[in-house]
Amino acid sequence: MRGADYVVKRVVFALLTVFVAITINFALFRLAPGSAVTNLARVPHATPETRLAIKRQFGLDKSKFAQYWIYLGQLVRGNLGVSFANSQPVSKNLRTALINTIPMVLLGTVFAIVLGTLTGVIAAWRRGTKVEGASVTTALAFYSMPTHWLGLMLVILFAGTLPTGGMSDEFLLNPSFFTHLKDLAEHVALPSLTLGLVLYGEYTLIVRSAMLETLGEDYILTARAKGLRPRAILRRHALRNAMLPIATLVALSLGYIVAGAILVETVFSWPGVGRAVYDAVLQRDYPMLQGGFLLLTISVVFFNLVADLLYFKLDPRITA
Amino acid sequence: MSGLLEVEGLQVWFDLDRGRELHAVQGVSFSLEPGERLGLVGESGCGKTTTVLGLLGLLPPSASVAGSVRLNGVDILAGGEQTIRPHRWVDLAIVFQGAMNALNPVKTVGSQIVEALELHGLARGRDARLRTGELLESVGIPEARVDRFPHEFSGGMRQRAAIAMALACNPSVLVADEPTTALDVMVQAQILELLDSLCRDFGLALLLVTHDLPVVAELCDRAAVMYAGEIVEHGPVDALYHEPRHPYTRLLFAATPDLYGEGVPASIPGAPPRLDLPLTGCPFHTRCDRAFARCPQERPLLRELERGRSAACHLNDVVAEVV
Amino acid sequence: MSVALQEPGLIVDEEPIRSRRGIVWETVRRRPSAAGGAAVLLLLALAAVLAPVLAPYDLHEQVGPVFGHPSWSHPLGLDDGGIDMVTLLMWGVRISLVVGFAATFVSMVIGGTIGVAAGYFGGKVDTILMRITDYFLVIPDVPLMIIVAAIWGPSLFHIVIVIGILLWTSTARVIRAQVKSVRERVYVKRARSLGASHTRVVFRHVLPQVAPLLIANTVLTIAVAIFDETALSFLGLGDPSRISLGKVIENAFQRAAISTGAWWAIVPPGALVAVIILACSLLGGALEDALNPRLRVSHLAARTFRLRPLVGRGSEVV
Repeated sequence: MRGADYVVKRVVFALLTVFVAITINFALFRLAPGSAVTNLARVPHATPETRLAIKRQFGLDKSKFAQYWIYLGQLVRGNLGVSFANSQPVSKNLRTALINTIPMVLLGTVFAIVLGTLTGVIAAWRRGTKVEGASVTTALAFYSMPTHWLGLMLVILFAGTLPTGGMSDEFLLNPSFFTHLKDLAEHVALPSLTLGLVLYGEYTLIVRSAMLETLGEDYILTARAKGLRPRAILRRHALRNAMLPIATLVALSLGYIVAGAILVETVFSWPGVGRAVYDAVLQRDYPMLQGGFLLLTISVVFFNLVADLLYFKLDPRITA
Repeated sequence: MSGLLEVEGLQVWFDLDRGRELHAVQGVSFSLEPGERLGLVGESGCGKTTTVLGLLGLLPPSASVAGSVRLNGVDILAGGEQTIRPHRWVDLAIVFQGAMNALNPVKTVGSQIVEALELHGLARGRDARLRTGELLESVGIPEARVDRFPHEFSGGMRQRAAIAMALACNPSVLVADEPTTALDVMVQAQILELLDSLCRDFGLALLLVTHDLPVVAELCDRAAVMYAGEIVEHGPVDALYHEPRHPYTRLLFAATPDLYGEGVPASIPGAPPRLDLPLTGCPFHTRCDRAFARCPQERPLLRELERGRSAACHLNDVVAEVV
Repeated sequence: MSVALQEPGLIVDEEPIRSRRGIVWETVRRRPSAAGGAAVLLLLALAAVLAPVLAPYDLHEQVGPVFGHPSWSHPLGLDDGGIDMVTLLMWGVRISLVVGFAATFVSMVIGGTIGVAAGYFGGKVDTILMRITDYFLVIPDVPLMIIVAAIWGPSLFHIVIVIGILLWTSTARVIRAQVKSVRERVYVKRARSLGASHTRVVFRHVLPQVAPLLIANTVLTIAVAIFDETALSFLGLGDPSRISLGKVIENAFQRAAISTGAWWAIVPPGALVAVIILACSLLGGALEDALNPRLRVSHLAARTFRLRPLVGRGSEVV
């Protein structure tokens, strides 16, 4: 397989980064001056016995090194601790939160990619026209809007028509499958639209820039010289080549979306990972904070790896 | 006389900011007979590349064009892109500079040649692949390389592949824009030899654009010297070298280092005029060693001096007057 | 993340800007987008500086009911404390810009130093510094900022440091690339061979070449810094004693401005933030584009070249 060693190198690097992230995670929460260390033991509403048990489980009575080792061991077993807020395992909370976040983020991202690619290509194609100016301006405008503010604006606009909070209507009793689906769809509309609009702005600019670069390349001139029609050149040469930077940049941005979703989920009270982290901050729920942060970091590393591998797959020039 | 290719009064302008324009090509005319080889020479920036791009209609959207380009008597420039496109590659093919990224890096070399064949209906599918292999062999590339990517080829081989691709649709005119620039000297010689033999074998007319005079001397029968967007002298290569009728031609040939090391190559002091400003008088007069009173005031026209020779210089009038 | 922003339009720059010193001014002069961005930023900076003088009302004075409607005397209405919105916005811009600039300064110093060190010394230093940068890049900013802000406590100073600590990575990368290319230039090598110390070479030869790119990157970073501050404030982690634009939005959100229908408490402050970010993106993007020699020719577009009727014959002067 071409450049198998390249793939291996990137995967190893990703794993290494995850390891570093885990260590940083540990350092942040256990070694921070005073506060976080003892907070793990200062579980509210806990009896002295529970406190002692927790202390022993997390090895808070041992040296920092020993704690680190125990921490690693727990991670391997999937034990992220127990949430202070609802006394459930952090991993379980995060799993539920992730299941809630993914559809919303996915919807917004797909919307942004489709719309962004369309407007980006059109803007590059119709260079020097009013269409280009309008596309770029609109994209820039949405790109510049603070995510949460855009969410609030949508709330103001659609307050009467679409639900603006939560993931589903609590007052629906035993809804049929379709009613439930409709309800979910209504609730996911605004949050994913918010995310989608901000991302669309960014993607339009990325696509336009990549297309402009590609359209200035010599092989495009060759393709024209060969007698290909403009649209054929666009499809067969320009788009094909521009996909390279576009795909990698999009993949990279995905890593940060889960984090950026924090703002959207806060505005719309969406019970996802972002909200979970935010609530954990407010409630000083350190196990949740630690677990959530680790999850978000791993997602960034993961998507960086995806971007690397995509680039490798799409560009035959990369061999090592 | 209806030659194969007749260019008359070709002009190209480029839009600049604030409504200004760059007059890159200021009225170029020449003709090419079947099998004939014409060299277009001049310093970089003189407009020779823009001229040939204009010929094929390969100019960017910021360009505007005037003049006529007649292929077998038909003006293909008359309708702009629409009338030119059908003739690209099947009548007029072009090979670009070696350093350029002229081949798409993410597609195999073979697929790009097949694309040309299929587009113009010369072959499809398996036939196209076979024909591609033949074309590559004819330029000295092993047929097995047909599925390789451009970056797997050396510079010289890439250039050969580009030539093979240019010949795919049996054009009658081959335009080569600085085909040997940025290639090693040894490779340069090979490419020139290749062009020579291919043009001979297939009876191609060759329009060679270059700033490298020895290349023109080796490959072409006639040459047109360009300066500041126009042709200043035109004639057989030997005549241009031995008895130039324009000071720029003389200085240009004198500036070429002699292989035998005789004499010191002289560079021409000064710089070409700006083409975004209107010109008065002869564009070369500020750098000319023979300029006289008339030169800064009146722009010389390209006049035929004898059969097959023309030059745009007032000195020729003076001589004629004297005689 | 900064995105490349090529100037809309078909015109090819005939003369590349030669002087590195004048590049900022030249770019603003030539590109309408840069000029627009610069103008807006200057205007807002001016308003911010003159806020104490220009603001129509006092910042803490209640001049009407909670969420008072816009009227002639209060074009943007009143906020949740009955304070005039226009006044709030002027002071808010002040704080937001201060935080943005300060945080960017921090990140510029860190990123610039690391970038120069990595690019100039190369080798092991470069590898180590770049590894560190890679790891920092991977950390999701918003969550980290939330956590650090939560642990450390909300104060303007902390916010500035937190934001600055996360934004330096892009600066470091960009500067490193530039320094690497500058280092190879003849005059730098000559200076070194003449015995100039590293410090001298860096400050006298490398930095001036790198400065324009640093400026472009800084402007773009300001945009992100202001966004981050807005986000942090919105999540309740901003400095409660200072009113930034983000805080204005947060206050309105917390006090149910939406259900009350008081859109004027939410829309203007956010719009102002968007405008600042837009202006920074335009100016910084234009500068970056001017500095990086990107291909400006488009070989293909919907439009083709134009034909002109033939005037005169042959090589006559038209």
